[in-house]
Amino acid sequence: MRYILIAIILVFTSLNVEAQGLNSKLVDEGILNASTKQVNQFFRRFNGEESTKGERYYPGDRDFRNHSLRNQYLNLIFDAQNNSISSQLKRDFVNQVNSQADPQYIDFHSDGWFAEVTTKFLYQGADVYITLFMKLEQENLGYKWVMSNVYFPHFKNLFSSVSSDPPKFLHPMSHEIDFMNLIRVFSDKDNVEQYIEKESSPDYLSMFLYELKKGNLKYQSVTNLKFHFFQINGWYFELANFNRPGANSGWLISSLTKLESETDKEAIIKFIMHE
Amino acid sequence: MTKFKILLAIVSLFIGYNQLSAQETISPSRKQAIDSLALEKVRDLSKYISIVGNKDTPWSEANRVIERTLELFADGAMMGVSSINREEVNYYGVREYLERLMALNYDKVNIEWYNIQYISDLERQPDGRYVGVITIYQRFEGTTEEGLRYVDVTKKDITVYVERKSTQVAGRIIGFWDVLLGDIRVSETKPG
Amino acid sequence: MKRESMQTVRQFVSMRLVMMLILAISVGGSMTSCQSQKKLAKKKAAQELAERTAQAKTDLLAIINDQGQMTLEEKEFKLNSIKRMNLEDQEVKDLIVQAEEKISAERAALERKKEEERLAREREAKDKGQYSSITNSLNAVAGARDVNAANIAIREALLQFAGEDAPVLILISQEGETKDYDEPTTIRKYLEYLKDQKKVSARIINAEYDSNGKIKLLELQN
Repeated sequence: MRYILIAIILVFTSLNVEAQGLNSKLVDEGILNASTKQVNQFFRRFNGEESTKGERYYPGDRDFRNHSLRNQYLNLIFDAQNNSISSQLKRDFVNQVNSQADPQYIDFHSDGWFAEVTTKFLYQGADVYITLFMKLEQENLGYKWVMSNVYFPHFKNLFSSVSSDPPKFLHPMSHEIDFMNLIRVFSDKDNVEQYIEKESSPDYLSMFLYELKKGNLKYQSVTNLKFHFFQINGWYFELANFNRPGANSGWLISSLTKLESETDKEAIIKFIMHE
Repeated sequence: MTKFKILLAIVSLFIGYNQLSAQETISPSRKQAIDSLALEKVRDLSKYISIVGNKDTPWSEANRVIERTLELFADGAMMGVSSINREEVNYYGVREYLERLMALNYDKVNIEWYNIQYISDLERQPDGRYVGVITIYQRFEGTTEEGLRYVDVTKKDITVYVERKSTQVAGRIIGFWDVLLGDIRVSETKPG
Repeated sequence: MKRESMQTVRQFVSMRLVMMLILAISVGGSMTSCQSQKKLAKKKAAQELAERTAQAKTDLLAIINDQGQMTLEEKEFKLNSIKRMNLEDQEVKDLIVQAEEKISAERAALERKKEEERLAREREAKDKGQYSSITNSLNAVAGARDVNAANIAIREALLQFAGEDAPVLILISQEGETKDYDEPTTIRKYLEYLKDQKKVSARIINAEYDSNGKIKLLELQN
């Protein structure tokens, strides 16, 4: 099926190319056409909202979200070089997403997906990599990307001391001595987190902004980008960009997992966020 | 009197809301016209780049064209360039990018378009303007006087801002789409 | 012997009776089966009629609710074949009226469109003649072989205009009363644009002149 679609795309493209007299680039353009060039195009192909010629379909158009068109696209939008996505798993996913009775779609404006942006900063004179987690947020009638979380190994290491031998604590009668024993808490920086309440967790995003505002962090560049989708019931998939030769390139599903329960979903999110 | 004021406030709230929601959607045929207009600006840019990059272009002409090129862009737009071997992005202002191009002084610059482009949806920003991204592929070939040839194929993801404006021209109210180019992400590709 | 023969006669008679009885029954039976066949045929006809009526309703509704999937000819063909069935169903009759209205409205719209297209073609042909002098000037700038030639062509073209700042409007789309333009520019900038881009992609749809016969506003369409 996949090869049929590629063949169709190639035929259409070659027709266009011949009309332009650019025969030398024939293969290249077929491949560029097949490549999923934007995340926006991934949405359209996933939902079956684009013709094989790349024309946009709108609601009301005859082939908008057409079942067989979707079937073709859904089989093309996986990283074909990734052996960890078994063909059975892929089939199960495609069958559910494109079921005749209850087809499922992904939606740009809805919750259930977010971006993972790897960035390079200068921190105290050295190159460091910081991962920003970003999501779309509505404001007025429009939308914007906002930072929702950050992962910086340096911050994480600061809070690594959860216990020690002997354990550290402020004894329960400290109040009677006007907490004069706090001197011991603050002279032992490495273990200070043992003195904070159980439920409290560090707010890495605030720490990140603090370091930035203090001038300790200097932005360099974005080095990588991927997306995590939880919009399809019972499934998680990751979307990544493959800049490589061939038609199986551009934005493709790079990881696929069946979720048995809500706990599975939470575990994956925790894993992604390095929590 | 207070009651009247409250009523007025409610009514104006509804009118305001209706005006906004009326602007919310752009019909497919209008969207197509805006798409072609935006694509036309991108093609204009490409032409300007070959004029600026060409050694035969007189200095004064090149400078005039740089000014015209800058008019296509929103203030502060940047080019972010990366290559196959370098994952990070180098940033240039548009003027800086063009002036570097002029300084390179190729004897001949040839920019070929691939017959493939992708035009994203237009999404609304919080400030009410629309934003989209046009993806194009270009083969750049620069030949120096000594006959040294530099060739690359790049994917260019070009931000396009679209805003409906109106102005008075010769006593007529003209509704127009102000299309401005924004940041451009340039990445080297190996289409194979 | 006599008794015997009597018995035989009686037997014979009773045999005949039985035979007649059988015959009578069988005849009667075939008579009733003939009646039920007629009923069956009637039922079948009624069923067929119901099916035809239902199909006609579906087809009519498809015509009435069509959003462009069927051509006008297809719709007319379908409607005519339904009308030939002469169905007595009131709902079908009502739907036929609605379908006829829809088709005639579409037919009228089509005729109108054809007429508009014809007028537009006429106008275009006229415009070509009317604006040929400006069009030639624009083409001269875009087709100039080098910068100097283009600059000369620009100077010449500007002579037809009230000034360098004469506004140029470029229409990009029109939906009913709503007209969408590109950002308004001036004739000087537009001519320089033609010089740089080396092509004229828009055609002239309107020009306004001042009292000296110079163009004070130029309107183009992409």
